[in-house]
Amino acid sequence: MHISDGVFRDPRVWVSACAAAGGLAGVLLARMDAEKIPRVALCTSFFFVASLVHVPIGPTSVHLLLVGLVGIVMGRLAFLPILFGLVLQALLLQHGGLTTIGINVLTMGLPAYGAYWLFGLERHFGFKAAPFVFGFLAGSAAVMLGLLLLKSVLVFADEAFVGVAWTLVIAHLPLVVVEGLITGSAGMFLKKVEPRLLEARGA
Amino acid sequence: MHLPEIDKYAHLDSPLHRWDGRVKVACIAALLLAVVLAPTYPLALAGLALAVAMVALSRIPATFIFLHVRWVLLFCLFLLVVLPLTGGGELLWRLGPAGVSRAGLSKAGLISLRALAAVLLIFPMMGTARFHVTLKALRRLRVPSVVVQILAFSYRYIFVLFDELHRMLSAARARGHGRARRLRMFRNVGSMLGMLLVRSLNRTTRVYQAMLSRGFRGEMKTLDDFHLRPTDLVKGVLVAGAAVLLFTAGALA
Repeated sequence: MHISDGVFRDPRVWVSACAAAGGLAGVLLARMDAEKIPRVALCTSFFFVASLVHVPIGPTSVHLLLVGLVGIVMGRLAFLPILFGLVLQALLLQHGGLTTIGINVLTMGLPAYGAYWLFGLERHFGFKAAPFVFGFLAGSAAVMLGLLLLKSVLVFADEAFVGVAWTLVIAHLPLVVVEGLITGSAGMFLKKVEPRLLEARGA
Repeated sequence: MHLPEIDKYAHLDSPLHRWDGRVKVACIAALLLAVVLAPTYPLALAGLALAVAMVALSRIPATFIFLHVRWVLLFCLFLLVVLPLTGGGELLWRLGPAGVSRAGLSKAGLISLRALAAVLLIFPMMGTARFHVTLKALRRLRVPSVVVQILAFSYRYIFVLFDELHRMLSAARARGHGRARRLRMFRNVGSMLGMLLVRSLNRTTRVYQAMLSRGFRGEMKTLDDFHLRPTDLVKGVLVAGAAVLLFTAGALA
């Protein structure tokens, strides 16, 4: 899911993405209380550490993204942990790139909002497994949406990337299910153990 | 899993380690930008050569570099395989129904050169000083305090969470995790991550309140400070000059 530096021939693609991401992050940061800093920082590290966990799928392995879970827990601020997590990944792990952070954060941060919204629907359904079902939907939809966004960006930037984009999408399809299962059970767990954490989100 | 110790070799001594952090971060970032923008093979190769030279100058061991660069190499390899097969246009040679396209191959090669050069430049930029010193340099370069604070806290928490996760995983393994069916395993991982979130969020809130009560106002105070010397400026002019040269050559090409 990470695009490295130097992939795009036309700098307008990543410059505009960085500007959009920077603008959104600037607005969120300016409106944020200082007491939210530890929460954002913790979710940043959570996102970062999750990406170090490799899940074996068939012959290969993919690492967790947990974009959906970050969205569920952080609500309106979900964009920030993903942005800072990607910055740290580029700086500390050489995962992804610095100039492509705009693109990477938009393709993963926007789906986090979708996940937040989807999981929020859970309140309207009283049945026992609702947090799991909607967590599953949120987690897998976030990955799926991220993949589709990434695919459209790649194809929009350069027609020649069609094959690359589809290979990426197909390679990550198992992750859609895995993330759904993990986000679903994490949602279920949080609802049972610390519902406060879900209710106090964002705001 | 390995810990992200980018500043593991910050204690070495080299012209890059002695370079003033503020000038270093700004100039190498400019060079990185110029490298990423390189539109032709000769320029991308020049960028890669510069990056390799700077890494060699920083004396960071090659094994360490390789350990960190392998993901980028994997990504490049992926592009080098897929782009030529799906590139279309003029074919270099045929392989049954598919063929290796010349345009795809040359594009993948250029991307790989730029990606590799850019990623190598991160080592002289981030790996030649302790991370908190680099953050201080960023603060001096007028990066907003909130941003620096979030980066500093996150960096610290990465190690805490990593240890915590490790402990939870060994405990789970002792209880038979990994032997259960796949479906069950993912559910356990989900609960574990939820537990990790609950525990550490409560802990960070307490830590932050403790910091505030001890007078923390959002600025990190560290003992080491920056002193700009003439040699720092000379190095700055050299690296920034290379960046400008690369950039203009690219704009003209």
